[in-house]
Amino acid sequence: MSHDYAHSHVKACLNLHAVFKNLEDMVAFDPETAEIVKEWDISIQFSVLMGPKAWIGFKDGICRVERGEKSDPTVRLFFVSSAHLNKMMDGKGFPIPLKGFKNLGFLSKDFPKVTNRLEYFLKPTDALLADPDYLAMNTRLSLNTAAYAIREIGLHDDIGKLVAGRVPNGIVVMKILPDGPAVHIAFENNDILPGKGEVNHPQACMLMKDMATANAFMNNKMDTFSAIATGAVEIRGQIPMLDALSLILDRIQEYLA
Amino acid sequence: MKTYTYEASQALFKRAVNVIPCGIYGHFSPAPLVPPTDYPFYVSRARGSRFWDVDGNEFIDYMCAYGPMVLGYNFEAVDRAAREQYDLVNCASAPSPVMVELAEKLVDLVTVADWAFFAKNGGDVTSYALMVARSATGRKKIVMFKGGYHGVAPWCQAPGHHGVMDDDYRNSIFINWNDFSAFERVVSENKGQIAGLISTPYHHPAFADSELPAPGFWRKVEKLCRQEGIVLIIDDVRCGFRLDMRGSNEYFDFKPDLVCFCKAIGNGYPISALVGADALKNDAAKVFYTGSYWFSAAPMRAAIATLDELAKIDGPKLMQQIGQQLIDGLCGLAKSHGYDLKATGAPSMPYLRITNDDSLMLHQDWCGECTRRGAYFTSHHNWFVSTAHTEEDVKQTLEIADEAFKVIKQKYGDQF
Repeated sequence: MSHDYAHSHVKACLNLHAVFKNLEDMVAFDPETAEIVKEWDISIQFSVLMGPKAWIGFKDGICRVERGEKSDPTVRLFFVSSAHLNKMMDGKGFPIPLKGFKNLGFLSKDFPKVTNRLEYFLKPTDALLADPDYLAMNTRLSLNTAAYAIREIGLHDDIGKLVAGRVPNGIVVMKILPDGPAVHIAFENNDILPGKGEVNHPQACMLMKDMATANAFMNNKMDTFSAIATGAVEIRGQIPMLDALSLILDRIQEYLA
Repeated sequence: MKTYTYEASQALFKRAVNVIPCGIYGHFSPAPLVPPTDYPFYVSRARGSRFWDVDGNEFIDYMCAYGPMVLGYNFEAVDRAAREQYDLVNCASAPSPVMVELAEKLVDLVTVADWAFFAKNGGDVTSYALMVARSATGRKKIVMFKGGYHGVAPWCQAPGHHGVMDDDYRNSIFINWNDFSAFERVVSENKGQIAGLISTPYHHPAFADSELPAPGFWRKVEKLCRQEGIVLIIDDVRCGFRLDMRGSNEYFDFKPDLVCFCKAIGNGYPISALVGADALKNDAAKVFYTGSYWFSAAPMRAAIATLDELAKIDGPKLMQQIGQQLIDGLCGLAKSHGYDLKATGAPSMPYLRITNDDSLMLHQDWCGECTRRGAYFTSHHNWFVSTAHTEEDVKQTLEIADEAFKVIKQKYGDQF
C-alpha cells in the first residue's frame, strides 16, 4: 500500500467516523443547527470503493451517524476512492450520486448548512472562543472527535496500530468536570470502541477541571505536563493507557490539520 | 497525623514550565505521580534514608533517587572520598589513576568481569553493549523482552513514541518475559542474524508486577546464546549491587557476556560501567565510544568507596532484610484493613500493588496518602530500599501506612 493511499484511507475514515459523528451532538446541543434540521427526514449513505462506509440520518429533530451501510437510504453517494471523499470534505470535489436524484437540491443547498456549521465549530479562533457557548460546543465536538479518531488511527494508521497494539483491554474515560461532557474508549481484544458518556470502573480516566481547561487541552494550547502536575488535568488509573491515547491523538494532525 | 502541602514545589514548577520542557522531564516527571498534588516536586536537602522538600516536609524515601542512593544520602565515607579526589583532580586532560583502580575493583568483584568501561548513565552502557555485541558478531538484530527498560535511546523506546523512527527498532525483536520457547523460535527464524539478547536480571516493568525468572530460564537462555553465538547482555542498572555484590546474574545462577551497571555503583555520583568477558575485550576496544565527563575522577573514587562499603557490610543482604521487614509489615497491615497488598520482585527493590482494584486507582490513592504523611511511595514503579533504612524507619512507615489505609477505607468503603 502506497503512503498516499494509506494516508487517504485513514483521513477518509476520520472524516466519516470522527468528524461527521459530531453532527449528532451539534443537532442535539446547538439550537441553530436544531432549527435547520427539525423538519428533515432523510438518510444519506456515503460509500467509498474499497474504503469506509457510513450513513447520516436526520429524523424528528435527531441526527444519527453510524458506521457501515444503511438499508434503503434516501440518498446514496459513491466515491471512487478515499481521496475522492476527502476532496469533497475539503470542498474541492463532488460525490457520485447513485440514488436519490430528486434530493440533489437538498445536497447542494440544505445539507451544506449543517456541514458549514460543523466547520464553523471545528475551526475556532480566539475571538470565537471568547463566547462561552461557542467554547462549550467546540470543546464538546473536539472531545468527540478525539474519542472517535482514536479508533480510526489506532486501527488504521501504521504508528497508531503499533501503539494501540500495546494497550491492554479496558476502558478509558475522558471527562470535563463537573458534569461532562464525557467520552469513553474501550480497548477490547485488538478492537477499539469509542462512545459518549461515562462508564463505571474505567481502567484509566482523564478529568479536565472545567470547559476552558478542556478546550485549551483539546486544542493543543496548554502544556499538558504542567496541567497534570498542577491538577488542572487529573489522570488516574492505568497511566500507560493514557500515554498510548496521547500518542494516538498526536497523530490526528497528520490527517486533519 | 499531619498531612503535607506543597505550595513552594508548585510555585517552582510553575516557573520551571516557562523555561524547561515539561517543567520536570523524564522519570522525575510528576505525571505518573498520581495524584501529583500529593507529591513534592523539588528536594532541598537529604540525609540517610530521608529527604526534605522545598516546603520543609520530611520524607522517608523509598525511591532512593530511583536507585542511585544505596548507602544513604550524604554518606560520609563516600562523600569524603569524592571530596578528596575533587581536591586532587576531577575533569582533566587525561584520566586519573583512580580509573584503573576502579576497573580492577570491578574485575575482582564481578564474576564475569575481565574488563570494565566507564560512562555516566545506564543508557550509555546499554547502548555501548549493543554496539559491542554487533561489532563482535557482525549481526544486526537484538532480542528484548516486552516492557523491559534499558534507557531512553531511540532503540530502547517503544515504537510510536515521539522522535523514534521506524529504522530505530527495525532490528529489534520483542518477546515475552520468561518465554523461552519464544526465544527459541526467534533464534530459529533469524538464524545467524541475532547479535545479542539484552535483559534485566528479572522483569521489573513500570505499572506492572515484577516477575522473577522461571526455574531454569536463564540457564536455558545462556545455553542457547552460547550455541548460536549470541551475546548475552544483562542490564543490571537497577538491580546491580542490590541483589549480589558479584552481579545479579550470580543471584540467579547464570553467566552473561556483558553486564551494565549504574545507579548503586556510586551512591549518587554520576558513573556507569559496562563489564565484560575477555572474549569481547577486543571488540569493546574497537567500538569508538566516549563522553566529555566519562573520565571524571571524583565519581570513580566515590564508586570505589561505595563498593567497599557495600562489600564490608554485605549491603545486598541488609537491604533484602530491611525490605522484607517493610513488605511483611505493609502486607500485614493491608490485610487487617481488608486489602490484598501484593509484593513482587526482590525485597530490596519491591513492586507493591493493592490488587483489589486492577485499575491501580485505589493503590494510587494509598501511595499518595502515605506520601503526604511522610513515606515517599510511588504507585507506578518498583521501590528501592537502602542500607540507611532502619527498623525505626519501617516502624514509622507502618504507622503512616496504617493511617493511609484508614483514609482510603473511608473514601471507598466496601467498594473494594
